[in-house]
Amino acid sequence: MKRTKLFALGLAMTMAATALTGCGGSNSGSADAGTGTTQTADGEKVLKFGCQMYSDGLIDPAAQTNCAWNAMRYGITESLFKFADDMSVVPWLAESCDVSPDHKTWTIKLKDGIKFSDGCDMTATKVKESLDRVRAEGPNGSSTPEKFLEYEAEVTADDAANTITITTQTAYIDLTGNLAHPVMAITDVADTSDWNNGTIGTGPYVASKFTDRVGYDLVKNENYYEAVPYDKVELLYMGDASAKAMALQNGQVDLVENITNVSDIQKLQEDDNFTVDIASGVRTGFAWINQAGVLGNDTLRKAMLMAIDYETICQSNTIGGLYTAGFSVLPSSLSYNYDKLTNPYEYDPEAAMKLMDEAGIVDTDGDGIREIDGQNINLTVVSYENRLLNDFADAQSQYLNKVGIGTTAKYGSSDDQWTSLVAGEYDLNQNNWTTVATGDPIDYMANWYSKCDSDYCGYENADYDALYEQLLEEMDADKRVELITEMQQILIDDAAVLVDGYYNSSMIYSKNVGYAHIHTADYYWLSTEITPAD
Amino acid sequence: MTKTFLKNKTFLIFRILALMIIIVAIFAPVFAGGIDPTEGNLMDAILPPSDTHIFGTDKMGRDIFARVIYGSRISLSASFAVVAIVTLIGTFLGIISGYFGGVVDAVIMRIADMMIAFPGLVLAMAVAGILGASIRNAVIAISIVTWPKYARLARSLVMKIRHRDYVAAAVVTGSKTPYILWRYMLPNTLPTIIITAATDIGSMMLELAALSFLGMGATPPAAEWGLMLSEGRAYMQSAPWLMIFPGLAIFITVVVFNMLGDSLRDILDPKNE
Repeated sequence: MKRTKLFALGLAMTMAATALTGCGGSNSGSADAGTGTTQTADGEKVLKFGCQMYSDGLIDPAAQTNCAWNAMRYGITESLFKFADDMSVVPWLAESCDVSPDHKTWTIKLKDGIKFSDGCDMTATKVKESLDRVRAEGPNGSSTPEKFLEYEAEVTADDAANTITITTQTAYIDLTGNLAHPVMAITDVADTSDWNNGTIGTGPYVASKFTDRVGYDLVKNENYYEAVPYDKVELLYMGDASAKAMALQNGQVDLVENITNVSDIQKLQEDDNFTVDIASGVRTGFAWINQAGVLGNDTLRKAMLMAIDYETICQSNTIGGLYTAGFSVLPSSLSYNYDKLTNPYEYDPEAAMKLMDEAGIVDTDGDGIREIDGQNINLTVVSYENRLLNDFADAQSQYLNKVGIGTTAKYGSSDDQWTSLVAGEYDLNQNNWTTVATGDPIDYMANWYSKCDSDYCGYENADYDALYEQLLEEMDADKRVELITEMQQILIDDAAVLVDGYYNSSMIYSKNVGYAHIHTADYYWLSTEITPAD
Repeated sequence: MTKTFLKNKTFLIFRILALMIIIVAIFAPVFAGGIDPTEGNLMDAILPPSDTHIFGTDKMGRDIFARVIYGSRISLSASFAVVAIVTLIGTFLGIISGYFGGVVDAVIMRIADMMIAFPGLVLAMAVAGILGASIRNAVIAISIVTWPKYARLARSLVMKIRHRDYVAAAVVTGSKTPYILWRYMLPNTLPTIIITAATDIGSMMLELAALSFLGMGATPPAAEWGLMLSEGRAYMQSAPWLMIFPGLAIFITVVVFNMLGDSLRDILDPKNE
């Protein structure tokens, strides 16, 4: 009996050792990568693409914002305009746009010869139907199309001239940026029968088969206005960053988007079999600071910002390369005068402690945690597993603990994070936002405008509000930049936001792919730019 | 009996090993060389094992050796707590249920059936999810799903002797019910319950680590093995030491306590005498 037990123990240890060796064998998979083929037996060119699944993979632009993103990211839909890598708006399905002096009448000339994937011509009437449908369906979903084009706006189509005219009641600063958003993508309303997984658009690929939780089979759009490089794309959902890296290494996929483990990215960068394309994106990782809680205390907030070394966090092996450090809410890569801003709360833990000491925020009971009004400071840090947010929360907590500010981690799902944000049950709430969804940060800056519902942190500053109201009216681009610069500086001076850094998107591909590129605006994943290797 | 304890070599070896683990947990600061397991430097994040950090560092630049050593405190204390709670509650309810029978038995056993109807870890996840993530709540969650096992065991053992003549004799000679429960029922259940509890320490440890791994147990920056595994998972390929060392710690500790429980059973099992 004992012998059997010892044998069993020995066997278990051997199995464990084998399993661990398996984990450590980092390069074992890469031998296959690059040697796979992009062609099937019948000569079809096939791309295998691994990506994150959002909103169950649905592709109806009117249902949810993520669904609209899905459709555009998968190369199924396109919009009238698109964002270039410098976030300027350029025509896509449109050819040009004229605007009346009052910014209320927009005449858009459509490109000739564009067809939907079902072969129908993209006429002005079809475009009108699409823009009308997304707004008609708006109240049934959560895409909020009214944020991009008001419900009251009237779209008229002129098929003969191939133009549409949009007449709005409100003056839009630049409607073309709004129309570039994936929610406003142009779809074939009359002929789409399956909006969930079979939306018909004008993009290079068409959804031919959807398997729940697995992914899509996409086929070439035979009616596309340009040559489509692949006959078929197998789009596979992979939620885990490590899974994406491993699938790429063992040749299961040729291309993946956004691997969020720095060490995996670094490994792939060093491997000649893979190409890593990183773009400075338009996303900012930041923590909301709840002004209604203990962080309503100005001194504590300022000391907190001074206690955290953003540069080191962003350069560490944990975050390095995936975020660019910064102290303003808008990414330094955008043209909103980041270099003219000043940060009065540079990393200086000694000064942070001194500031708190002078304000009477001291540790009287010797437990290492400072107190306010006799209560230990214990910040509730809410975060969720996305784009390294938990790592930021951990790192920031580590710095805060060193200066005597206690923290309690409350990590959960993105739903948990959102619920606690809306309910105000947090001190710091981590998230990652697209700052210029329509090419302009006005919606994003509303997060700190006290009269707006999205001011979830309860921040209030009369000067900021006044500048925001000016921004709503201002049509001149240069003046807008000035206003936005001033607003950023106010938020910095008030220590209103804990900025993690600016997220860099990535696309990684094997030797099977000749070229791929990740765009600044992460609405575009599969495009005709992605080509097979020769 | 004492002789049997000393004679059994397996029991002796694993008792010494278990004691060593407990000593490591108690004297963690000494074994960790005074290094704080929750303090790190981001500049030293994810460094491979070296002379300075023999198990390497984790993603926050913390020393993994110190964290593994300190991790034994949480793992041991939490699993001992679970075992103690379920043994006490389960045995008590089981004895009551077996002795009194009738409605008391039906109510207690139906509640136990409800608990058993779900897969253990799934129900524990649900309970821990509702209570919120913390090691205390994980202990409560696992206790809630584990006590029925002890209750059913104690009940069946009590029912075996409930109608024996000596129990009836105790009743007719005027012994009070608490006295009968304490003097006759409990001693009859104890050996089996103790064996079960001892063999359960390892599996409780695994369940606690599983809950922490899933984000429903220990919260950062606690040095807990399951949480360390979870934090290291993303680096499995590039920095395997983040998972290997806490994994080994769980493996060794669970094996030691399982073998200890096993050898204890060999000793206490009447068939072996």
